[in-house]
Amino acid sequence: MKRVLILLLALFTTAINAGPAVAETTLEKIARTGTLTIGTRTGSPPFAYVNKENQWVGFSIDLVEQLVLPSVAQKVGKPLKVEKKESAPATRIPLLTSNAVDLIAETMTDTRARRDSVDFSLTFFVTGAQFLVKKGSPIKGIKDLAGKRVAAQQGSTNARIIRERAPTAQLREFPDQPAAFQALAQGQVEAYTNDGIQLAGLKAKAPSPGNWVIVGDFYSYEPYGMAMRNGDADFRNAVNNGLMEGIDSGKFFEIYDKWFGPKGELPYPMTPEVKKFLIYQAVPK
Amino acid sequence: MNYHFDWSVLWTGQSGQWLLQGVVTTLEISVLAWLLALGLGTLSGALRTVPFAPLRALATCYVEFFRNVPLLVWMFFWYFALPPFLPQSLQDWLFNHGAEFWAGTVALGVYHGARFSEVIRAGIQAIPKTQFEAAISTGLSTGQAYRLIILPIALRLIIPPATNESLNLLKNSSVALTIGVAELTFQTRQIETYTARAFEALTAGTLIYLALCLTIAFVMARVERRFAIPGMIARVGAAEH
Repeated sequence: MKRVLILLLALFTTAINAGPAVAETTLEKIARTGTLTIGTRTGSPPFAYVNKENQWVGFSIDLVEQLVLPSVAQKVGKPLKVEKKESAPATRIPLLTSNAVDLIAETMTDTRARRDSVDFSLTFFVTGAQFLVKKGSPIKGIKDLAGKRVAAQQGSTNARIIRERAPTAQLREFPDQPAAFQALAQGQVEAYTNDGIQLAGLKAKAPSPGNWVIVGDFYSYEPYGMAMRNGDADFRNAVNNGLMEGIDSGKFFEIYDKWFGPKGELPYPMTPEVKKFLIYQAVPK
Repeated sequence: MNYHFDWSVLWTGQSGQWLLQGVVTTLEISVLAWLLALGLGTLSGALRTVPFAPLRALATCYVEFFRNVPLLVWMFFWYFALPPFLPQSLQDWLFNHGAEFWAGTVALGVYHGARFSEVIRAGIQAIPKTQFEAAISTGLSTGQAYRLIILPIALRLIIPPATNESLNLLKNSSVALTIGVAELTFQTRQIETYTARAFEALTAGTLIYLALCLTIAFVMARVERRFAIPGMIARVGAAEH
């Protein structure tokens, strides 16, 4: 038994320490494979989802394909294609660290704790957490949660805040949005909390949107950024330059309008403050 | 790999407490599901060998229905599809008293019961038919022959494959996180959320699962040796002890 244990431990440590002796930078990897691999989502409309025509699309994906990709392609000096992989809150950092993807482009909130492990691009969207409840529910905000059953997405910043600020709520965490919404629809939970914009997307896609209301003030600040492996400044600059070019040229706002404008997938007009914030992020050439 | 490990995240803050809670929940759900699986498996495994066709058919239906649908689907079934058929008051009570835990336990127990059933059937069928005939000829009824002669031998024969199945059950309990059961894998993800340190958290989870499974394998090997009938189960290497 003891020998078996030692052998297993030895195997395990070798597995952890294995890997290429000389690390390849992200730009070198992209140049070698001719592919920019992104981790994104299939169920977070309108940022990244599979639409009725079975295409994998969304605001975050457009930002990559139309703004980031040309900038990275110019940097490596050859045309590139984008490959998409499914990521979830619990898997996105391991996906990056293990080199399975080069960029996370979905609905990931930039936080200080996450910055210890990964680097973030500019903020490309700003939202805050709210609640989705059945019409007529007594829940109006975070202060009404005592003893109530609340769903959150596992691995999200929202779940963490609920645990800290409403400790008596019965928090149920689900790995993805469809499962959490199913639980809300069937009464397993009385409210589902997520970033306001995601709830709006979910509500718009629900079979009868009129049955659901989004309630509560933003109880958190959720700036979305694209994540990449840390310490790779050249790649991060290429990504950020693409986003800044888009903000300078107005292309960024066209893409925003396509998804969130009056005729977009999910009307959500950009406030003047947010627009100013985005413009100020684009530093001079 | 260009990654700097920081193992202290596993014992600073609430991480240690979460891991412990995760282990407790994993053990709770696994033990309850294991008892359910063993009960259902023994019953249906025995029924699949009885000389009465309708009972054999019933047990076959149970086994084929439950083992041929993925466990994940069963989790969703017990948690999402079943409750709407219950009375409203019972639904509310369940939802306030850990419905996900019970749905997970039943899903795991019923699914693994179907798999245990096959193991037990194989054990019974490994016993020469003359054993059963001899039991009947001493005046025992079919039920008594099963209870006093056939099952006690079969249960000894199947300890190695049953160990295998038990380890699978323990590891499969992680699927319950999809319906929100805060077991060990769930808690490792929790630590990842708070610390953004996925590799440390997953390594801790891996080592804990490994330790749990090795302990079970060790205990089951002891049980096997303790209950072996001399001459019945030829265990090479253990024979001379």
